[in-house]
Amino acid sequence: MPDDASDEQTLNAEFDALAGRAGIEIPESRRPAMLEGLKDLKRMTQLMRQPRTAANEPAGAYAILSITRSV
Amino acid sequence: MTKPLHDCSIAEAGALLRNGTITSTALTEHALDRIKTIDPLISSFITLTAEQALADAATADADFAKGVDRGPMQGIPHALKDIYATAGIRTTCHSKLLVDNVPTEDSVVAAKFKAQGAVLLGKLATHEFALGGPSFDLPFPPARNPWNPDHIPGGSSSGSGAAVAAGLVRMAMGSDTGGSIRGPAGYCGTIGLKPTYGLVSRRGVFPLSYTLDHCGPLSWTVEDSAIAMEVIAGFDPKDPGSADVPVPDFRSKLGAGVQGLRIGVPRQWFVKTDGVSAETIAAIDDAAQTLAKLGATIEEIELPDFELFNACGRVIMFSEAFAIHEKDFQSRPLDYGLFTYLRMSMGAFTTATDLTQAMRLRRELALAVNAKLKDCDALITASTLGPATAFAEIDPNRPPNLLVQTMPFDVTGNPAMSIPTGFSKSGLPLSMQIVGRAFDEPTVLGIGAAYEAATNLHLRRPSFAVAKAA
Repeated sequence: MPDDASDEQTLNAEFDALAGRAGIEIPESRRPAMLEGLKDLKRMTQLMRQPRTAANEPAGAYAILSITRSV
Repeated sequence: MTKPLHDCSIAEAGALLRNGTITSTALTEHALDRIKTIDPLISSFITLTAEQALADAATADADFAKGVDRGPMQGIPHALKDIYATAGIRTTCHSKLLVDNVPTEDSVVAAKFKAQGAVLLGKLATHEFALGGPSFDLPFPPARNPWNPDHIPGGSSSGSGAAVAAGLVRMAMGSDTGGSIRGPAGYCGTIGLKPTYGLVSRRGVFPLSYTLDHCGPLSWTVEDSAIAMEVIAGFDPKDPGSADVPVPDFRSKLGAGVQGLRIGVPRQWFVKTDGVSAETIAAIDDAAQTLAKLGATIEEIELPDFELFNACGRVIMFSEAFAIHEKDFQSRPLDYGLFTYLRMSMGAFTTATDLTQAMRLRRELALAVNAKLKDCDALITASTLGPATAFAEIDPNRPPNLLVQTMPFDVTGNPAMSIPTGFSKSGLPLSMQIVGRAFDEPTVLGIGAAYEAATNLHLRRPSFAVAKAA
């Protein structure tokens, strides 16, 4: 089981990889707050992964007439 | 006339304008005097357009004299959140990045008010790009809460909420992506209507998140929001999110009461949330009883967990916001205020898969809410979860996560209106929101009007504003 230190190490590595991919340079002074934000974001993206079938698609997700005609 | 001018609603002022009791010039001068006296204490305006406002008021007066009536906003002073493009008038998004931005064209909403002969008093404070705030590292100070200037007015339509509550304008436009109309309305004790997605054109309003952004009014009375909607609603073929549907009669149910309506309450959403104030829960329970006494059937219902809506909305909002700002974020990141930077950077960390999962969840959540609204005519639930936070309680190094439950109806697109439910012991407003079926703003407004008439909470103004009123 990973310990807290390795969790932090993994989070930091992920943080650096994502920031690099996005092409942003992050001042060291802002890193702690952003790491906290990333933790919260990961909690949210995990929460969104509910069981669903392949047929469960997002088309029209924000077109409310597409929603109301389906209920 | 028994009321001070600033306490006259749009409907009341409109009647006085039309019977010749007052002029638009008098209304505008009164508002400008009030802004001069009160706004230094609440910083709700970024840009005041006094000279143009007086010229527009004179034009409105000339029109009234000639018998020309362009609609209910003719001659009425109002203001716009500073993300609405205004031709020839600085539109800053409260940001260093756009501090000198002067658009050449009006946003659709600004153009519609102008076409009606409404009088624009100026542009209002916001959280930077409708996302980051309240902040002290931006070109303009943050707006403050008229009920207690040591407290925040909520955001991001912070200036809109503050200006309406202080009686500087009867109606101001805001925008709502995760609750930015309803949050300030809740904290400042005003009405705040987030219309159905697609009902009001967003063209010319600086986007925060394309699929979540809604434009809507904050006002002192329910009727005044209905009047604003009459002016601004309608299909815009050049807004990709605009809905080509008939525009309802927004005032049609204002006097209809709530007899026979079924109103659902997803009570578990707010009673189980960490940090909700007991006063908020008691006020919503009281509101439900009031509506029941007026003839509505109140029914506790269950909806998917609130945190699912919140996660879904935030992942979409961060992703879309970062996509909009990517180039500036890469090239001049430190020109953004700290809170904007910290919030927006989360969009750099979302993946395409995260966004797709969020959109799939969004459809599931929208279906769940609209299925409940087949049985219920409307829902009531918390808007803000307590009174406004004090500035002193906000960590200057971390953007605050304000306790509001507004995101679900940005995710689903249903109309939702914040309305005051009373006051905390500390004298700050409490609120709830009324949620309706898609494009059924008239029912939302009708329930709000019935509740407003039963409680008369709108008769209480911030003593701060009253004391300073000239």
